[in-house]
Amino acid sequence: MEADAQLVQECLRGEGPAWEELVRRHTRRVFNLCYRFTGNATEAEDLSQEVFLRIYKTLASYKPAFGAFPTWLTSVTRNLLVDNYRRTRRDRQTDSIDDSMPQLEEKHSSARAPDKLAEAMELSVQLQRGLARLSPELRESVILRDLQGLEYNEIQAVLQVPEGTVKSRINRGRIELARILTEMGVRPS
Amino acid sequence: MDWNCAFAEERLSDYLDGKLSPAEAAAFSAHSAGCANCAQTVALVSDLVNRMHKMEMVEEPPHLVARILDATLGPRAQKAGWKGWFDWVPMLWQPRFAMGLATVAALLVVVSYTVGLTPAKLRKADLSPTNVFRSANRQVHLTYARGAKFVNDLRVVYEIQSKLQPEPEPLPVSNPAPAPNQEHNSQPPNTTPQQKSQTTPPPSRTQVRSGTMFAFLLTESLADSLAENSINGSTRSTR
Repeated sequence: MEADAQLVQECLRGEGPAWEELVRRHTRRVFNLCYRFTGNATEAEDLSQEVFLRIYKTLASYKPAFGAFPTWLTSVTRNLLVDNYRRTRRDRQTDSIDDSMPQLEEKHSSARAPDKLAEAMELSVQLQRGLARLSPELRESVILRDLQGLEYNEIQAVLQVPEGTVKSRINRGRIELARILTEMGVRPS
Repeated sequence: MDWNCAFAEERLSDYLDGKLSPAEAAAFSAHSAGCANCAQTVALVSDLVNRMHKMEMVEEPPHLVARILDATLGPRAQKAGWKGWFDWVPMLWQPRFAMGLATVAALLVVVSYTVGLTPAKLRKADLSPTNVFRSANRQVHLTYARGAKFVNDLRVVYEIQSKLQPEPEPLPVSNPAPAPNQEHNSQPPNTTPQQKSQTTPPPSRTQVRSGTMFAFLLTESLADSLAENSINGSTRSTR
């Protein structure tokens, strides 16, 4: 598989297939980050498109020496999410998070028992409701660490805050989310 | 260092992510073992983190990639000419379509075998609608006839079995008093072992049943042949 940096160079030379490959490779990651942060699939879809538009326009500013392409992509996504959060703060309705729920990925679910799949779907919805009740700072930290699987230094690069702050936010976010889910009646597995 | 609840909570993620030194981890475990509140918090957060790590990504809408490409590269030109006709072919490689196709193929094979169309014996003429209908019609009638024969055979078997049922054994009488007229036939109590060996053992139950069945079949066949002979004889005499 061709490296992201190589694909970026090809994109800058105006090769359309390289850009298509980059989009196909990273759409799910961007969409998931947007969906987990906003809790709305339609909004996440619009934001994902906006992220790639921004990436496409500013691709020349990406320098591999400053970090991996996914980290840069996540950073752009996060900045756009924060902008969107501030812009829509007034008319946001956090209780409409489960409209147009996307399906869980079917890669592994086809071999699963239906009850397990239903359980996973229910947990996904409840987690989304719990995340919506966290502050944006704690929410983004938990999403990046536990749902996107980023390391602490990558999160630090994305959020542009000291490592201590990253650790503190992740820790507080996890504890608060666990308490919220317990209040919601989610039982430990 | 003295670990209190606030400090343990502050280091909880470091503990779960394995970022504490062995001494710190031991101190953390010791504190949470002695504190019910901290133990509960550790259990809840640990469970949540594990579940989130196992959670699968949500699937993006299928049209999202095309939408992004259209927004960035502009609407892409459709393939012109005959190349455009085969745009749907790559979709067949997706698991859901492949599974559907396999199911339909299996169904067709089952149906073709049911109507008597085996691939080895298949000829071009078998594919004409008239022949397909005739074949299916014949297969349906054959299946019906086989079913009817099976039911009739089953009825005969049950009839024979019901006639061969052994008679219920008499209930044992408590303290049987020897009847005066049976004393003569009964075995004397002081028979010698040689005399005992000469007497034949009573037949077993299965032997009795098979013997009864044989006798019944013999009687039936004899009765049939006698009836046939009598009919033949009467016809001869009338002639």
